[in-house]
Amino acid sequence: MKGKARKALVVGGGMAGLEAALKIGQAGHEVILVEKEANLGGTALLLSSTFPKWQDPLEKLNLKLEQLKKLPAVEVYTNTEISSCTPNGSGYSLTLRNNLTGEETGVEAQAAVLATGFDYFDARKYGEYGYGTYPGVMISIEFEEMLREWKKGLKREKAPGAVAFIKCVGSRDRIKGYPYCSKICCMYTARQAGMFKELFPQASCYVFYMDYRAAGKDYEEFVRSVMEEKEVRYVRGRPAKVLPYGGKLMVRSEDTLMGVPIEVEVDLVVLAAAAVPKKETLELAKSFAAATNQHGFLEPVDGFTAKAGTRVFFAGGCGFPTDSAGAQQQGAAAAAEVIALFNQD
Amino acid sequence: MDVAYYPGCSAHMMAREYDQSARLVCRQLDLNLQEIDDWNCCGASSAHSFDRLLAANLGARNLALAGQMNTGCVTSPCPCCFIALKTASLELKENEELRGVFEAGGTSSHEIKVTHLLQLLTEEVGLDSITSRVTHRLSGLKLAAYYGCLTRPARIVGFDDPEQPVSLDLLLEGLGAQTVTWSHKAECCGGALAQARTDIVLDLCGEILEAARQAGASAIVAACPLCQINLDTRQQAIQARNGTEFNLPVVYFTQLMGLAFGFSPRSLGFNRLLTDPSPILQTLK
Amino acid sequence: MSFQVGSIDRTFRDELEMACNVDLDQCWECGKCTGGCTTAHNMDYTPRKIIQLIRIGAVKTLMSCNTPWVCVSCRLCVDRCPAGIDIPRIMDYLREKSLAIKDHGPGVDDIILFHKLLLEEVYKRGRVSETALALKFNMQTGQYFKDAGLGQKLLRKGKISPFSSKVRDLNKVRSFFKQEPDRREV
Repeated sequence: MKGKARKALVVGGGMAGLEAALKIGQAGHEVILVEKEANLGGTALLLSSTFPKWQDPLEKLNLKLEQLKKLPAVEVYTNTEISSCTPNGSGYSLTLRNNLTGEETGVEAQAAVLATGFDYFDARKYGEYGYGTYPGVMISIEFEEMLREWKKGLKREKAPGAVAFIKCVGSRDRIKGYPYCSKICCMYTARQAGMFKELFPQASCYVFYMDYRAAGKDYEEFVRSVMEEKEVRYVRGRPAKVLPYGGKLMVRSEDTLMGVPIEVEVDLVVLAAAAVPKKETLELAKSFAAATNQHGFLEPVDGFTAKAGTRVFFAGGCGFPTDSAGAQQQGAAAAAEVIALFNQD
Repeated sequence: MDVAYYPGCSAHMMAREYDQSARLVCRQLDLNLQEIDDWNCCGASSAHSFDRLLAANLGARNLALAGQMNTGCVTSPCPCCFIALKTASLELKENEELRGVFEAGGTSSHEIKVTHLLQLLTEEVGLDSITSRVTHRLSGLKLAAYYGCLTRPARIVGFDDPEQPVSLDLLLEGLGAQTVTWSHKAECCGGALAQARTDIVLDLCGEILEAARQAGASAIVAACPLCQINLDTRQQAIQARNGTEFNLPVVYFTQLMGLAFGFSPRSLGFNRLLTDPSPILQTLK
Repeated sequence: MSFQVGSIDRTFRDELEMACNVDLDQCWECGKCTGGCTTAHNMDYTPRKIIQLIRIGAVKTLMSCNTPWVCVSCRLCVDRCPAGIDIPRIMDYLREKSLAIKDHGPGVDDIILFHKLLLEEVYKRGRVSETALALKFNMQTGQYFKDAGLGQKLLRKGKISPFSSKVRDLNKVRSFFKQEPDRREV
């Protein structure tokens, strides 16, 4: 059977899924790329900038989409979800469902890559931060939309004079959240705070942190530049409470370096909500017999990096929180394992 | 419905208007509060500070007495008493030796349901029954519902939300009043430190009063004798010190329920409040 | 003075962890307990530091600091702690252990006296009369006129009264006490 073109299913058209589809397609196999939303791109579509280089995330995305267009063997289904999946020994028999038309399509695939991304922790579980109760408390991805508008020159007159970022909301918490470090929040918070100060140099900006984790190429330098050049004030301590006060928001925290309780008055509080597994991913994992860990993230098996079951692989945030660069790397790795499998068939 | 009633020491003394109004409104709701005969003090913050077993024993005796009444449920208007009882109840569940000392007929003391009065009214009686008894809607009142430490710790209390409680707000809105969104609904008033460290309590109560004033409340509604006493009786001292005129009546939620049910302010003990409640009473006329 | 961390005696910590059902290795040192603490401003060592002091075995400091006495048991910390460490219970434990210590710094003696007087009331009557408690406290601390104006107002309003109820089965209540509370120890 060697050399025969085979077909792979990729679920999720974010950075991880795109890279996987591209590489599998470029290796000469057929690909069905399924995306739940109307457009390919995933989280990258929502972001105001990349890091550690301040670039438009759409630049790289468009490059990928251009490459995809050159591959007729990659069939793209947007607004589409997997409505059923049956393993059939040599792969999967699947039904795809278009969410707009309700139209169903039956397809066969000899391997699947799950790249469904992550969700954000439900910050309402922290009553002390008042998300959902106090206007002016939002989660990071909502703040991202404000940044994109300000960048376009819109609504600038409504910009806040002071912003506080609270990290580890839902992560590193055994009681209300998840015990793991959500990994991406330190960097996206630095990016958001830096971007905000770039747009509004006169504004005040505080980042409350337990630790700042910047282990990556040029990451440490990026965070330092946000502190030193953009003058974002980092305060070590995990805030205990946000109080609405006289039209403002007061953040109560300990400054754990000084060892005293402090209060900071701001107009806006941005909660770095942890990246958490999607519920749909867990269901999908079950139907593909893919391994998951105790939290619901996909888990590699047999010493592979992307293989989660017999003919199922994964990449990106559905495996664990990862930034855009990591998602792309994992997409390529998953593609390599799929291509190797096809080559052995 | 028969309920064993544990008033606690304050309800017999400084918070008599709380006890008085609670009994009135419960009767109106066909809730028969039966005071536990020969109940003892829960030991307040002092017993658990000095001797954990003493606190457990004090609570366990009250639970055993309540158990003999076979009501299946005990309620207290005081959050401190409520937490003490509930802690003792959990302790009894885990500690067989302790349980052995107290089991004596009736409902097993660790099986009796322990509730705060606000919980009993909102969960057992229900908002619908309460609002159906309202004859005088409290329209025009803008109130700051104050929970203090009532809903903490969640693990023991098991009622409402520890950080953003809503039960009292919903109850007051059911009576026709408006409630304000404010910052200090679940902050602590300093409780038992009032006597020994008045300075600390004045600071804390000053913040709470200021927060309620800023939120535009015309009164603070309490569900705890200590909170009510600290915020009401220390108000003049705080006003003198901070130079802010609060004049914020601090009333028990049962007093407002009583007004909405048509009882006279006097029968509900409004005359016993230090901060003059007449502005809010006039709003209702 | 530097704390000697090299030769930590774990005895105190082990006993505390057992009694309070906590594992202090789980502390993230994030300070969330302290940031929202009702009385942290009045403490020698904030709750986060207390955890650290227990971990390094600084028993003497723990026994003499004012922290557990200034703690009002409002329990704001425990529901917020990302590790679920029962700090109020630790404070109870520290109070119980350091009760016999004389010098907790300014303002603490009064707090201990208040607790003792309250328990004395429970021992003597089974219930607490706020009037009697306040009067005894003011007499004991020599503050004869503390809140005197307030007291008069309260009396007029009928909020306080010299009469108070008593438990009949006092012997039972008294049997719970290891010993009769003795305010002279303060």
